[in-house]
Amino acid sequence: MLQKRIALIVAPPAMQPGGYIMKAYADRGAPETPEAEVRVEAEAGGALLIALAWACAEPQRSMGAQTDRFVDACALLVPATADAPWITMGAPGQPVEAVYWRADRERPWRMRAEGLGTMQRDDAPPGWSAQGAWDAGRWRVRFALDAWEALAVQRRFGVAVWQGQHGERAGLKSVSDGWLLLG
Amino acid sequence: MRYEVSAAKAQVAMVLDLNKCLGCHTCTVACKKLWNTDQGTDYAYWNSVETMPGKGYPAQYVDSGGRTASGDVKRGRVPNMDAEYGRAWTFNHAAVIATDAASGTKEWLRPNEKPAWGPNWDEDHGEGSYPQDNRYFYLPRLCNHCTHPACLDACPRRSIYKREEDGIVLVDQDRCHGYRFCVEACPYKKVYFDYQRQVAAKCLFCLPRVEEAVAPACARQCPGRLRYVGFRHDRKGPIWKLVDEWKVALPLHPEYGLGPNVFYVPPLSPPKLDADGRPLPEMRIPLDYLKSLFGPEVEQAMATLTREREKRRRGEPSELMDTLISYVWEDNFRLGPNAREVL
Repeated sequence: MLQKRIALIVAPPAMQPGGYIMKAYADRGAPETPEAEVRVEAEAGGALLIALAWACAEPQRSMGAQTDRFVDACALLVPATADAPWITMGAPGQPVEAVYWRADRERPWRMRAEGLGTMQRDDAPPGWSAQGAWDAGRWRVRFALDAWEALAVQRRFGVAVWQGQHGERAGLKSVSDGWLLLG
Repeated sequence: MRYEVSAAKAQVAMVLDLNKCLGCHTCTVACKKLWNTDQGTDYAYWNSVETMPGKGYPAQYVDSGGRTASGDVKRGRVPNMDAEYGRAWTFNHAAVIATDAASGTKEWLRPNEKPAWGPNWDEDHGEGSYPQDNRYFYLPRLCNHCTHPACLDACPRRSIYKREEDGIVLVDQDRCHGYRFCVEACPYKKVYFDYQRQVAAKCLFCLPRVEEAVAPACARQCPGRLRYVGFRHDRKGPIWKLVDEWKVALPLHPEYGLGPNVFYVPPLSPPKLDADGRPLPEMRIPLDYLKSLFGPEVEQAMATLTREREKRRRGEPSELMDTLISYVWEDNFRLGPNAREVL
C-alpha cells in the first residue's frame, strides 16, 4: 500500500484561463503547502480508503457571512483515460475525475474536467465520503471511495491542496508533481 | 490567455448628470428592493451613491487593485465585509419592545454594535473649509458594463459573459464556483460575493426591464431626472448626444482602459471665496480632482457646460441645456425606436 510524503509544487498561474490570474499571480513561487502525506489505508473489492494530511497553521473551516474568506480544501484527481494530462486537469477527449473535500461541507463533490476551466461538480455518489479533522497544526482528510472505476482502471492519482488562509482557490493551489501510482 | 470577447452588436449605456444628483438614494433603494434583499447580498449595493471627495463604497475601492493607472492588470483584493463594505446593522428591537413604561426606564433603539463604517458613511463630509472652499458632490455608481470587462477576463470558468445583443455583462451563476477573482479584478468593485449562495452577483442593468424597452429601476425612479438610458450608438438617443456630439459625458476612471459604458456629466461648482468673502475665478471642486476621476477631457467638458449654461442665462437657445434639464422626462430614455416610458 502506498504511504509516502510527497513534495507539492505550485500550480502554474501562467496556465490559468483568462488574462487576469496569470498576470496578477505571476509572482507565486513557493507552494503554500510544500509537502503532504498520502496513505492508501485499505483496498478491497473496489473500495479504497485514502488519507491525505498536510500542515496548516490556521484552519479555515467556513466562509461564514464574510466576503473575503476562503475555505481549506483538498482533492484527489484521477485520469479517466490513459493519456489524460495531469497539470491541465485533462484535455478535450482526455477527461479527468476528482473527489473534492472542502472543510465547510459534510459531503464531498465528485468532479469531472476536460481541461482548465471546464470542471463540473456534482454531489459525490452515496458510496463516497470524506472526513476531515484538524489537530496540532495538521489537516487529515480520509476519503472512503467505493467503486471509482477510473481509479480502479488507471491506478494513478494526483493530489491538490488549497489553504484558505492564503486565499487559495481554483488554480491557486499546491499540487503533486505528476501522477502518483496507487501501488 | 486573454479571452476573446465579441463586440456587442449594440451596447446599452447610461449617462448621469452629476449637477442634478441630490443624494436622495432613491436609485439605490429602487435597485436594492428589486434585486438584493436576500441574506447573502444583504450587504451589497449594486447601485450606490457616494459623497465625493470621499472613500467611496466599498471604502477606498480605488486602492483595491484590479487595474493600474495605465490599464495594466494589478492583483486586486476582495473587500472585507466589516471594514470596507459595512455589515448590515442589527438593532435592539427586542429590548426596546420589552421596556417597561411603568418603571420609567427607557431603552433607546440603537445598533447592537457600535458601527464604524457602512455605505454612505461619509455622506456630505466632503473637503475644504467653510465658507471659502467647502465642497462635495454625489457620485452614483453602478456596474459600467464595460466593453472590455475585467471581471469577465478574471473568471477561470468563463462564468461571466457579455451579451451580444445589448452588451450587458452577466454572471452565469450556474457556472460560477464563487472564486471571486472577478471581485478582485474589477477596479470599480462592482461585482459582489453572495456569501449565502457562494456565487458572484452584480448589476444586470435590469435586463428583464431593458428587454421590454423599460429603463433600469435606478434610472426610472430617479426624482432628479439625472439619468439617461439608451444605446451607445443610437444617433437619435440621448447617449450619443451627450457623449459623442456634445462630449460632456465622460466615463469614470477611463485610465483603467476597460471601456466603461456609464458616463457622467461632471459637476460644476460655485466659485471659491477669498478671505473677504469675494468670489474668486476658480471653481470649488478643483479641476485636477475632476481630472483624477474623469480624465483630462473633463476640462473641455466643463468649458462646454459653462458656455452653454451662459447662453441659456442670456436667454439664447441651447439644445444641450434643454437635454440636461429634461423638460420631457420620457426623452431621457430610448431603448427602442418606438419605446416610451409610461407614467
